[in-house]
Amino acid sequence: MAANFWASSHSKQLLDPEEVDVVPAADRERGITPVEFRLVKIHMSFHIWRLAQQVKVRQRVIATAITYFRRVYTRKSMTEYDPRLVAPACLYLASKVEESTVQARLLVFYIKKMCGSDDKYRFEIKDILEMEMKLLEALDYYLVVYHPYRPLLQLLQDAGITDLTQFAWGLVNDTYKMDLILIYPPYMIALACIYIASVLKDKDTTSWFEELRVDMNIVKNISMEILDFYDTYKIDPQRGLQEDKIIPVMNKLPSKA
Amino acid sequence: MATGGGGDDAGEKRVTDRYLKREVLGEGTYGVVFKAIDTKTGETVAIKRIRLGKYKEGVNFTALREIKLLKELKDPNIIELIDAFPYKGNLHLVFEFMETDLEAVIRDRNIVLSPADIKSYIQMMLKGLAFCHKKWVLHRDMKPNNLLIGAEGQLKLGDFGLARIFGSPERNFTHQVFARWYRAPELLFGTKQYGSAVDVWAAGCIFAELLLRRPFLQGSSDIDQLGKIFAAFGTPKSSQWPDMVCLPDYVEYQFVSAPPLRSLFPMASDDALDLLSRMFTYDPKARITAQQALEHRYFSSVPAPTKPNLLPRPKLKGDPGNDKIPDLNLHGAPVVVSPPRKLRRVSAPDGIESNAYRAEKAEEHPTTGMRRSEGMSSQSSRIPMSVDVGVVFGTRPAPRPTLNSADKSRLKRKLDMDPEFEYAE
Repeated sequence: MAANFWASSHSKQLLDPEEVDVVPAADRERGITPVEFRLVKIHMSFHIWRLAQQVKVRQRVIATAITYFRRVYTRKSMTEYDPRLVAPACLYLASKVEESTVQARLLVFYIKKMCGSDDKYRFEIKDILEMEMKLLEALDYYLVVYHPYRPLLQLLQDAGITDLTQFAWGLVNDTYKMDLILIYPPYMIALACIYIASVLKDKDTTSWFEELRVDMNIVKNISMEILDFYDTYKIDPQRGLQEDKIIPVMNKLPSKA
Repeated sequence: MATGGGGDDAGEKRVTDRYLKREVLGEGTYGVVFKAIDTKTGETVAIKRIRLGKYKEGVNFTALREIKLLKELKDPNIIELIDAFPYKGNLHLVFEFMETDLEAVIRDRNIVLSPADIKSYIQMMLKGLAFCHKKWVLHRDMKPNNLLIGAEGQLKLGDFGLARIFGSPERNFTHQVFARWYRAPELLFGTKQYGSAVDVWAAGCIFAELLLRRPFLQGSSDIDQLGKIFAAFGTPKSSQWPDMVCLPDYVEYQFVSAPPLRSLFPMASDDALDLLSRMFTYDPKARITAQQALEHRYFSSVPAPTKPNLLPRPKLKGDPGNDKIPDLNLHGAPVVVSPPRKLRRVSAPDGIESNAYRAEKAEEHPTTGMRRSEGMSSQSSRIPMSVDVGVVFGTRPAPRPTLNSADKSRLKRKLDMDPEFEYAE
């Protein structure tokens, strides 16, 4: 959407880095560490993405769903709000908000297909619909979310390096495995991805960045976070986190099963 | 609310604690609306209870749109969404209470509207509309019935159930929006890509309706609607509207020439007529915008717009001794019979898409191939979801990426961001 980000609720909802990624008390009591808290969020981001591939929605819907998911856990605990259910419910809500509704029964069907062996991930339509209502409340009914994709394309065009589109786009996708979208304006995230892409592909964008008159320290910080993320998690882009890494963590969380 | 408990108990407490329920105001498109007192502020509010209808589709799609957009749109001329909460499994939306609407004003034969009164209403309407458009929101259901009037006479745009965000290029929209009488010619010709000009056309129709005190162009079908439009303004020539012939449902109409606008609105001032003609410009690209309309000399010339609190208002239903009068009062007066609301919202002359939800779906996937070939969606289908770091850095072709420390320091050096790194050479 081409609307004005600065006038949006999204811009007013941006958080300080210290405010995100705080393990809620209820989860701490279950022995969830900050590292594990992050792992669950990464794992469930993959879950949302895989589910979205099945039901075939636009990239925007996925991005909005993951943003909702991450926003919820700045306010609610995983003990109270089972991430296995919150994830598909976020996708369901996001698909409606982004005007390309996916029926809840389709989600239920594909979850069964994807996680057939694991009962903890299986939910009924009514579970998703009930969670939808709770999500709305948890999100304080703020539903419009901006993403780096549109500014990314515009900025790449402006810089005359559209050949980097594919690479930079993939980097933006990966930023949703972090909480960056809750902290920084989307165009700054786009700039960071362009920065990484142009440095790695040996494109000289120094003067272009200078003309932008943005705070390069922020751009560099975001870039660093992204690189650190790759370095820390070494995630298989197709399969997500290794099972032996994530299953013990997920088992710490209560489930309906 | 961010810290709220969210359980059913909290909700129950809240509705009794904060809101004192009063009488039912009516049945909206997606649920019952009742009056209530907000004990926190002492204000009267209107609470919409969103029917969960068929329990298979969750929160009503239309309600969700309204929530989404009204949370972003805060303006004196747009209805305020004060609060929302779940209660007994239903979602409740709390709006500021509005006494009446412009349709009631127009239809009330006891009300005389001076040119200054009309100017005031039009100005408030355009202000609300200009704000929406500034925020890239199309209202898509402008009609007197959706222009609400508050206790102080202020007019506010309401019912954002059909509204949506525009400005994304190449996205196809449904043309089945607006009550027919307020539908712009490009919509009647089936355009799928339109902008704020459709709201301006509808606003022009409302302007005309205020002057005439009856709906201006009362078509009985889409074809008839175009006929009514052409009878009023003449059949558009392609010099006036070059893109017209390319529209999906374009059909050639027999040429009629336009009667002088003055003959249609004998009482209107020259400035009013000039503004009207600009709001009714055929070519949407040439049509005046809401913001430009506000800057039109009509609003700066005499008479100045009436102050909202001095505007005449219809007698209220709730007034003692006045309870069921409105219908009786209309005795003998021409009664405007609107088509049923549902039909007007998403009218489906071909009878295929009969509810808004399905119409929306159809709109999203008109011809999947076409939509997919545009913008982001194509990006997402062609481009891998994730960057395979290993491949990118050329360290190895493996599907399982790892970034070894040598890579990392090389990267950090390249990016000139590693605070530990010294240019030691």
